[in-house]
Amino acid sequence: MEFFTVSLLNGTIYGLLLFMVSAGLTLIFGMMGVLNFAHTSFYMVGAYLAYSLQEVVGFWPAIIISPLIVGVLGAVVERYMLRRVHQYGHGHQLLLTFGLSFIIAEVIKLFYGNYPVDYRIPESLRFSAFDVFGANYPFYRLLIGGTSLLMFALIYLLLTKTRVGIVVRSAIYRPRMVEALGHNVPMVFMGVFAVGAALAGLAGAVAGAFYTTNPNMAIELGVLVFVVVVVGGLGSLEGAMVASLLIGLISSFSVGIDYSLADLFGLMGAREWAEGVGGLLTLKLSSLAATIPFLLMLLVLLFRPSGLMGTRE
Amino acid sequence: MNKTKLALALSALGLALAAPAQADPLKIALVETLSGPQASTGLMYRAAVKYQLANLNEAGGWNGEPIQIAEYDNQGGPAGASDKVKAAIAEGARVIIQGSSSAVSGQITEDVRKYNLRNPGKEVLFLNMGGEALELTGDKCHFYHFRFTTNAPIRVKTLVIAMKEAGDLGTKVYSMNQNYSWGNDMDKSIKAFAKQGGYTVVESTLHDVNKIQDFSPYVSKIKASGAETVLTGNWSNDLLLLMKATRAAGLKVRFGTVFLDQVGNLANAGDTAVGHYIAHAFNIQAGDEAAKFGEDYKAKTGHYPTFIEPQTVFGMRMLGEALKQTKPEDGKINITEVARNLEKVKITTPMGEQHMRAEDHQVVLPIVVSKVTKDAKYKVDGTDMGFDIVKRFTGEEAVNPVEATCKMKRPA
Repeated sequence: MEFFTVSLLNGTIYGLLLFMVSAGLTLIFGMMGVLNFAHTSFYMVGAYLAYSLQEVVGFWPAIIISPLIVGVLGAVVERYMLRRVHQYGHGHQLLLTFGLSFIIAEVIKLFYGNYPVDYRIPESLRFSAFDVFGANYPFYRLLIGGTSLLMFALIYLLLTKTRVGIVVRSAIYRPRMVEALGHNVPMVFMGVFAVGAALAGLAGAVAGAFYTTNPNMAIELGVLVFVVVVVGGLGSLEGAMVASLLIGLISSFSVGIDYSLADLFGLMGAREWAEGVGGLLTLKLSSLAATIPFLLMLLVLLFRPSGLMGTRE
Repeated sequence: MNKTKLALALSALGLALAAPAQADPLKIALVETLSGPQASTGLMYRAAVKYQLANLNEAGGWNGEPIQIAEYDNQGGPAGASDKVKAAIAEGARVIIQGSSSAVSGQITEDVRKYNLRNPGKEVLFLNMGGEALELTGDKCHFYHFRFTTNAPIRVKTLVIAMKEAGDLGTKVYSMNQNYSWGNDMDKSIKAFAKQGGYTVVESTLHDVNKIQDFSPYVSKIKASGAETVLTGNWSNDLLLLMKATRAAGLKVRFGTVFLDQVGNLANAGDTAVGHYIAHAFNIQAGDEAAKFGEDYKAKTGHYPTFIEPQTVFGMRMLGEALKQTKPEDGKINITEVARNLEKVKITTPMGEQHMRAEDHQVVLPIVVSKVTKDAKYKVDGTDMGFDIVKRFTGEEAVNPVEATCKMKRPA
């Protein structure tokens, strides 16, 4: 029971963090068809900016200002870079963002050095929310989860219940028609890209303090975020939420499961043979924990290429 | 056509310029990870190698010429390293230096072994400054490979003895390691020293290397096991995130580590780090000589020597001593002689006496076990914490027995 509760809590919060980062990515892809490789770079920039700002203006203002700056950065990237290569198609956009991610990483190293910076949770937030089976459950984890849920609700309402949402959604399907109706479609796209980047920046600002803020954080999360978006379905916000939670829970639960293929053979009375063979057969599930999401992606791509809740292939 | 002519002319010019030189200067190649995610470690090896090389050249270099060094970026992987080793040898390098990642060391040592088999008389030396996997001095050992760092049994043995004597080890130990050659070695060693340390390994985990962001599931596993001490060979993010997650869960457990002195670790871990242990090759608080070395290093590189730097400097010093004993033959260097001399070199570092074990080319290196405290004289990373010495080991006390799998063929 203890294992179950703790894993459930940990997995959910980690899943919610993944959602925070991948929400922007799936939004940008869904709206603009741009597969943004530099997305987790915005996450990293958000963390570093918050780290620098909190020394000047304090933790809370930094958490709010940093995503705004990242949003502006996103707008600049869209307006002056992506829009120029848009006419050449997806390949060029992909390469551009890919290159951009390297440049951002190197610039960060130039300013902040190669090592993790000292970005930590402020002491005032370092308390436990409640106890689970004798261990403290940090309040900050709940804060991460709460921020993520709030974000989901806001984006969802914005897209489905407001006029802006209607314009944005129709701009995806019938850009020319929307333009003819007098809306500035390029402006809409720039806005979407900026919001997507800002969301990643917010995730970075919040999570950078809890995990570490280092020049590799973009790469570390980068692949996983793509897995989330693919599993959830490219462009689907709800899908990203489901996939994030799924991957969070899977990685959390699999850590505690020490079964191997040998145990499976044990059920059939062939345990000794399997243990004798060793290798893959005695490999514990727990040592594969971080690899399982990729297995999930493989399965999804094989059996449901559009993703769990996606509509396009 | 014109291009060919130009190339010919240029190479003729090159030959003409090269010919008058009397002796060939000794060329060293540093094949390190100089770009990409793991570059921070590679750059530290570079700083340490260059620091000591400057000292060697100040003292006259070799054969009256300064020793030359060329840098090659292996981009963090064995494949890149293999290419760069070929390039380095083609450009005349006779000594190859590398440190970060056992996987890369394993590739280079094999490449060098094969090259030497095929090119007798033109041997190349591989100085391994940081690849700690046991197999490098085990079944992969060969005459032209020298390891100037420790390995898992050395680190675990010294950690366990020192922590036990200080009464900080407890009887329940959790073994948390990364799932590759180095982590596996650590895991085996932690289990092997259980009897000597008077503990039981309540649980052991091998996890993916530098892929995990959220260590909280592992922390609940540690808690469930009831362990008092976590022994870990984790480095970089895997160590940092593990410590941070432990702190966040309010779990009181002591860490025995190998790489806690990596730059940025203490600053990031904060107060969590106090009371944790590390077994390493150098502590600046180990006396006047150590302080002098530390200050000189800082004056030249901008920071105190830490992490893998001291062992690399000491290794380069041993190379310098061996070169002193090696006389040029027709102005050329005989690498086999250098290797033979390297086996005989004894130097005294600020930490004590250090020499090379001839049987498997594992360095016999003094080890110090330190504890993170707030009273330490030298603070680290701009925090109020530093490493206080708990116990010192001479090289002989610390070193592991020769691996039975090492069958070294010595040149006649």
